[in-house]
Amino acid sequence: MPKKVPEQIIRLGIVISIIFGSVALTLYLLPPALKDKPFHRRSTILAETAKPIQFAGSNACADCHDDKYQQKKTGYHRNLSCETCHGPAAEHAADPITIKPFVARERRGCPTCHEYDPSRPTGFPQINPTIHNPLQPCVTCHNPHDPVPPRTPEECAACHAGIVRTKAISSHALVACTTCHTVPEKHKITPRIIRPTKPETRDFCGKCHAKGAPVVDAPKIDLSTHWEKYVCWQCHYPHLPAERL
Amino acid sequence: MNQELTEKLTDLLSQVTGYIYPNEIEIHWSILIVVYPYVTGVVAGAFILASLVKVFNVEEVRPTYRLSLLTALSFLLVAPLPLNLHLGHPERAYEIFLTPNLRSAMAMFGFVYAWYLMGVLLLEIWFEYRGDLVVWSREKQFPMKWIYRLLSLFSNDISKRALEFDHKAAKAITIIGIPSAFLLHGYVGFIFGSVKANPWWSSVLMPIVFLMSAIVSGIALIIFLYMVITPIRGETIDMRCLDRLASFLFYAVIVDFSLEALDFVHRLYESEESVKILATLINQKLFMSLLIIQVLLGMIIPSAMLVAGRAWRLSEELRKLLYFTACILIQVGIFSTRWNVVIGGQLFSKSLRGLTTYKMEVIGSEGLMMALALLVLPFVILTILVKLIPPWKEASRQTS
Repeated sequence: MPKKVPEQIIRLGIVISIIFGSVALTLYLLPPALKDKPFHRRSTILAETAKPIQFAGSNACADCHDDKYQQKKTGYHRNLSCETCHGPAAEHAADPITIKPFVARERRGCPTCHEYDPSRPTGFPQINPTIHNPLQPCVTCHNPHDPVPPRTPEECAACHAGIVRTKAISSHALVACTTCHTVPEKHKITPRIIRPTKPETRDFCGKCHAKGAPVVDAPKIDLSTHWEKYVCWQCHYPHLPAERL
Repeated sequence: MNQELTEKLTDLLSQVTGYIYPNEIEIHWSILIVVYPYVTGVVAGAFILASLVKVFNVEEVRPTYRLSLLTALSFLLVAPLPLNLHLGHPERAYEIFLTPNLRSAMAMFGFVYAWYLMGVLLLEIWFEYRGDLVVWSREKQFPMKWIYRLLSLFSNDISKRALEFDHKAAKAITIIGIPSAFLLHGYVGFIFGSVKANPWWSSVLMPIVFLMSAIVSGIALIIFLYMVITPIRGETIDMRCLDRLASFLFYAVIVDFSLEALDFVHRLYESEESVKILATLINQKLFMSLLIIQVLLGMIIPSAMLVAGRAWRLSEELRKLLYFTACILIQVGIFSTRWNVVIGGQLFSKSLRGLTTYKMEVIGSEGLMMALALLVLPFVILTILVKLIPPWKEASRQTS
């Protein structure tokens, strides 16, 4: 005699077949268009495309401001879009006479990228906005469409602010960077590849610090007996000589 | 730029330290995504506790068996809500079933969830309650009579053989349910563990750590509920059951703690390039939530309490007090664990050189209020379920 199927199984079976049946039926009845992924994305696309367009794009700027565009194209800001500094300009492009884009004539904008921050890459032009020509708008000296890196030696601080600050309170404060470092002009363009020189001999420091050297105030040592196997900067930090390594 | 967004970002910018990329200032996975693994964790934990009775025949904890199942169900019903609220457009949620994407772990959630809800939990609860439902449907008046009839799927057979079959079926489903519960919560850990670009998340241990902490939170919640509900019903707490639950909880906490410590030591020993920023993250941003709340308050102190209760043979009242406090601390600790994973993983820059901060909304679809509402909702559902199908055996015995 065949075993009787338990009642529970029959009832659950009915429920499960209703669920599966209705799912299958729904899927079968749904027109294929409703199962298309593009269909499901449509409302998102509509919502996105319905948003107002804010940016005009660099090409639109070039149509009228070709001189600025050409100038920027070869300069250090070549990878920046016009609207990075001038803000969204779609309205200006549509109505150039009455609507004018933002023009950064204040000091606020440039430090967004150029304020000193130790985590920025070495060589990236950086300043301390508090002490770098205070209150002057950046555009007085720098042309943002073709910015030129600062000149040596006054502006080593642009990149090496930490060293310059240290040196400023040291006994070497009045010694210019270029007294000890020869800085090739290309160092400012490719700072990691073309590097400045460092003093490599004891005699270099000896020009001021050897016995009988002409600089009166500088501490004097006998080069022939004073740790003769070492170069000076192995023990003395030249940017803050009072501190010994 | 959008004025509101600008103001929000300006507030955040002052909190940023070091170098971070522009799209990392604002955190995108908010507190709702913290609530989601917490809630699913409770589901998996409660179910695994229930399986102790059915599969492993741990008779002492039988008083909590049905309560565990109902707790798992009420939390499971809430589990997808944080995701729906976070993603927006809940009316489109069914589309993941219509256009299944087998290669996306996130898109498979719908199927994992549906399987666990329909294939495991509801079935097990139905088999467990069917006999009682039939009895209740015969005794109650309209309209409850019809509700019970509907819930029992108009079943009528309460012969000894039929009830035995129910028992066997529930056991079989529990056996399938254990790997399914592992799948459900292991899946949540997998989602985080497989984000290879994020060194705080990317770890093969993540699913298993999630699973163990899920078991911890599930057991702790059941102890809490059992200790609250039993006195309300005017019954006495079964200390054998409570002691057994507490020892299971202790073992789970120990395993969870060891796994997390292993993960930590492993990262420290590997010392990948991310180790410095992760150390800063722990020391600065997560000091309170990770070291104080998660480790100290959420693990070390409660496990000391659980041990103290047993080791010094304290009086029943004192043991209850210790267990109760430990359970609350563990809940806070596990919530903090989820917080540290979800929010912590977004606080540092992919440049590994800077940290941002999380500014939580209070009101709004992803705010604190919504998170609290979602954490209260399972208890509301549980209250309704407990009223509708009381989990204590006595109720059915009285009626039958």
